[in-house]
Amino acid sequence: MRRGAVIALLCLLLPLAAQAIDPARLDDPVQQQRYEALIHEFRCLQCTGETIADTPAQFAIDIRRQVREMIESGSSDAQVRQYLVDRYGEIILMRPRPLWLWLIPGLMLVLGAFVAVRIARQRRALLATDTSEPGDEEPA
Amino acid sequence: MKRLKFWIPLLGFLVLCVMFAVALFRAEENKIVKSALIGKPMPEFSLPDLLNSGQTLNSAMFKGKWLLVNVWGTWCIDCRMEHQMLLDIQKSGKVEIIGLNYQDDDDKARRWLKEMGNPYTAVGVDREGRTGIDFGVYGAPENFLVNPEGIIVHKLAYGITPKIWREEFLPFIDGSGA
Repeated sequence: MRRGAVIALLCLLLPLAAQAIDPARLDDPVQQQRYEALIHEFRCLQCTGETIADTPAQFAIDIRRQVREMIESGSSDAQVRQYLVDRYGEIILMRPRPLWLWLIPGLMLVLGAFVAVRIARQRRALLATDTSEPGDEEPA
Repeated sequence: MKRLKFWIPLLGFLVLCVMFAVALFRAEENKIVKSALIGKPMPEFSLPDLLNSGQTLNSAMFKGKWLLVNVWGTWCIDCRMEHQMLLDIQKSGKVEIIGLNYQDDDDKARRWLKEMGNPYTAVGVDREGRTGIDFGVYGAPENFLVNPEGIIVHKLAYGITPKIWREEFLPFIDGSGA
């Protein structure tokens, strides 16, 4: 019971972690939604492999502010993208990794399970055919 | 057969090493050295003048000369390392160096120039990094070489060394006969 309460409390802290990186909120919930979607599209050029939504790096803070202000002043998503591409190049667009990469851990798990089962079977087969007693000497 | 099994983990490890190496060297982050702005006009700006309070610097003031736009801040360690080189470049008289004091504190920046010497013809204050975004800046130091027509011809996303100046910057300036 107590453990459940602790876990529940920890879960309450999760949104705080999100807020710590990006505390700003737009007044209009629709604009806020567009903002959150957009910041996941742009690469943090100061970082490696992170979007500007994921990091407190100064570069990400600046670009997030830019995106927020452009949305507030009525720019479309396409205009925001074009604005940043004009200045930073295509590199600013974070393209998601190909989907099949996500399958690799699963494949590794299946492969590992297969090897484990094989080893277990071989052991059992060896034990089944083993006629020696526990006290016996090792065969020469 | 047993022998072969022994080598499998090592082989796997080597394969992984090769994969990681390829991925690292091909990382998209490595391609950002080239600026999207090369071949384009220098972005227009209008910024407070660090060294003459109350005055404004704007990009139009510097047309007709070779410019080195240097992004710097007192918080930036590489800028400190680069500073002597900037002083040497200024002495050579080949370019006017325009400073973009990036996300910094005015007093600290002025003290820095007083203590270490001032290589800049003028320094604009970009405390919030907005002009930096127009230049595609994502750190400091960054250097932009601008020709007399106001076109950005070269960009470096780190500090200038004597070798880089000689091999990457000077050929642009000397080649044009300017």
